[in-house]
Amino acid sequence: MSDAPAEAPGTDAEAGSDPDPDSTPNAGPLGSRSNRELIAWAAIGTLAALLLGGAAFPNTILGVLADVITDKDTLSAALRLSVPIAFAALGGIFSEKSGVINIGLEGLLIISAFTAIYVTDVTGGIWIGFGGGVVASTLLALLFAVVTIEFRADQIIAGLAVWLIALGLAPFASQVIYNGPNTPTVGTTGSIYVPVLAEIPFFGALFSASPSVYMLFVAVAASWYVFERTAFGRWIRASGENPKALDTAGVNVSRVRYVGILVSGVLAGMGGSALSLDLGQFTGNGPTMVNGKGFIAIVAYLFGNYNPIGAFLATMLFAGLDAIQTVLQLQGIGLPRQLIRIIPFVVVIVVLALVGRTRLPEAAGDHYESGEE
Amino acid sequence: MSKAVRLEGITKRFPGVVANDDVHFEVERGTVHALLGENGAGKTTLMNVLYGLYEPTSGRVEVDGEKRRFDSPRDAIDAGIGMIHQHFMLVDPMTVTENITLGNEPRKWGGLAVDRTAAREEVTALADRYGFDIDPDARIEDVSVGEQQRVEILKALYRGADTLILDEPTAVLTPQEIDDLFGVLGELTAQGKTIIFITHKLGEAMAAADEISVLRDGRKVGTVDAGDTTREGLAELMVGREVLLDVDRPPAETGDVVASLSDITVDDDRGVRAVDGVDFELRGGEVLGIAGVDGNGQSELVEALTGLRTPDAGTVEFLGADVTDDSRRRRTEAGMAYIPEDRQERGVVMNFDLVENALLGSQHSTEFGPNGRIDWPETRAHAETVIDEYDVRTPGADTAAKSLSGGNQQKFIVGREFERDPELVVASHPTRGVDVGSIEFIHERLLELREAGVAVLLISSKLEEVQGLSDRLAVMYEGEFVDVVDPTTTTESELGLLMAGQDPAESDDPGTAESTDRDDPVDAPAGGERA
Repeated sequence: MSDAPAEAPGTDAEAGSDPDPDSTPNAGPLGSRSNRELIAWAAIGTLAALLLGGAAFPNTILGVLADVITDKDTLSAALRLSVPIAFAALGGIFSEKSGVINIGLEGLLIISAFTAIYVTDVTGGIWIGFGGGVVASTLLALLFAVVTIEFRADQIIAGLAVWLIALGLAPFASQVIYNGPNTPTVGTTGSIYVPVLAEIPFFGALFSASPSVYMLFVAVAASWYVFERTAFGRWIRASGENPKALDTAGVNVSRVRYVGILVSGVLAGMGGSALSLDLGQFTGNGPTMVNGKGFIAIVAYLFGNYNPIGAFLATMLFAGLDAIQTVLQLQGIGLPRQLIRIIPFVVVIVVLALVGRTRLPEAAGDHYESGEE
Repeated sequence: MSKAVRLEGITKRFPGVVANDDVHFEVERGTVHALLGENGAGKTTLMNVLYGLYEPTSGRVEVDGEKRRFDSPRDAIDAGIGMIHQHFMLVDPMTVTENITLGNEPRKWGGLAVDRTAAREEVTALADRYGFDIDPDARIEDVSVGEQQRVEILKALYRGADTLILDEPTAVLTPQEIDDLFGVLGELTAQGKTIIFITHKLGEAMAAADEISVLRDGRKVGTVDAGDTTREGLAELMVGREVLLDVDRPPAETGDVVASLSDITVDDDRGVRAVDGVDFELRGGEVLGIAGVDGNGQSELVEALTGLRTPDAGTVEFLGADVTDDSRRRRTEAGMAYIPEDRQERGVVMNFDLVENALLGSQHSTEFGPNGRIDWPETRAHAETVIDEYDVRTPGADTAAKSLSGGNQQKFIVGREFERDPELVVASHPTRGVDVGSIEFIHERLLELREAGVAVLLISSKLEEVQGLSDRLAVMYEGEFVDVVDPTTTTESELGLLMAGQDPAESDDPGTAESTDRDDPVDAPAGGERA
């Protein structure tokens, strides 16, 4: 009894850093923070040691782990799991860079996940349902924008309210409409299969994925482009760093922030719709099927230093761990399932501790009113 | 000749305060016009009206002879007015070019992308035209304050400003950078731009401006030609009475030793030795001045004395007891009052009202807090005493410290500290950034304390201040006391030599003294960075 917990932390750490290599080759765009690089290099090292060890001793735990990591299904699952988190993280970046901390991402995911299923059920069109989820999330984000910008509500409290509203509303609506917290099953978005390319070992997973995975790639690239290349991206940054500078330059800060929040609503809505339509069902028990993904998204964009690409890679780390732990639970490697299940959460905590402080936008969380001293 | 700007009968009321009262103000095109006044006289408010940040309660604004109504800075920018605020409106993590073009980015691809090449070229061309030396790709957080100011000026010019308003532009600059700025102003007016220059410093107004308008208590009290006025004349206009720039004081009657520091050595935050073996004794009833270029260890010495920093070696004795390791709180309670050099960082909590600020430092004292509770009525009464006796101009004790002008914040801090009934007052740059009237007031209070037998340690980079108030004057250079002199028999050039780390006794060539004196501003930038 006392042996198991003593052994557990070591195993956690080992297994925990596995999928990190996903983020490694791209540590550059994350910025020059040495701790981030340190994590990335440590992950490469751990992974290399693990794969070598696995090759050398195929019949040990190392061998099993190495097999799991290099399995095409693991990448496939990681991509699928990362979709809602990464969309929400992108949305969070838009909002927070503009100066409004949106911790209601979880709520936006929940409301869009439910609405997507409901609209699909009513209209029969999966993509109409997808759009419906996006609209619902955007409307809730608009409400958040109005109370924080117009009525100067505290952003954190308003964000919590968004979460709580969605957390109560979605299962309640399901109860009223379907007599239960879980909706019936509707069609799913299915997947796009590229012949030949999908046969490639491991990376073939990239060519046999749900449409939402490809939409995510486009969204990551587009977000990066907006921040790095467009005037509006600069306004968003300025609005979060020094809104007064933007105001005196003649740009309406409130308008920029509205757009930032609405974009976060659209993106989170895409994530939520993709989440539920991937399964074809919304489950509303307890924390609902979203189950903290919106909060992990916040960690992901902080770890990614507000860079869309960084946030995506951070998401892949967390989602990859999640995928691995699912496989490990099924395979059974002599550890209690409960311990394996917590691996992603342990890694989130370790990463946060190691990254140290991410530099928040200077004016994030502050209300801004033009003409006030 | 047309007036670049004409303000007629501008009145601006805030709840409880009339900031501008029927002000008439006009500026000739192509000139530098200084808007002079004490802190809180309404200079910045008037210019914020011109810049569209405030809507005037009444009055009219004319630009180039045309009546204008500005709802926002955007309108003012369109009318060719640019403002460089005291606190720069720059986005630190963005580059110089990004900041200059913010809100007016050149676009390409039908607006889908910022044309970064064009932006860079436009900024470079603009900088060249006015002779600014600036790296368009540097990040704002990496460039000096003087460069940031030039970026602000370029930003206004980029938006097509013909009239530039500079709000206290010299407050954050080193003497060297101030010279550079005045050069820039000359270049700008030579190319037809009009400059309005807000300041409370007489000397700068006279040095830089063609015309000077003086504001007092929200009213304009006069406009004079910079060429035919004197410092005394301007000072009188500013405060409305004759100012004694010299202080009268009887000789010191020194009492017992109040504080004694021996062999104090302090390393600064970077681990560089800032104070190196300083010894001194301070007696009741005397003022010990410490002169020196900023950044020669004065701040660290003060922090070691007041308990904000533990010295790496040496002992601090206060009233006969060793307090080297005592906390700031214990030293305060023992009677050591402290006027910090950065008033907004350490003197007041900007978001607290004056009642709460009056309590700071006394929050543990039984006077305001029997049994650990705070007696708010008593605290309020105390705050009101400070406000009354130290002439703090405020709508009331419930006003937040941040809405007071700098001079009034300082008077409030001075009042709070003096009311502690201290044995020792450590006054670090007590009149920095404070208007003439308040300077005089603070000096008088310091001398009153001295007469009452209190020991005063006065740190200032203004020579006339330490010379005028001190009984003994220590000159600090690179962490050491170069010498302790009698301020009445030491000339400014001798002090200048000492401040540059030289002993005037070793050089009797007056020419050397002159040149070293001039070297001071060159040393100053290093100090400026640390301050």
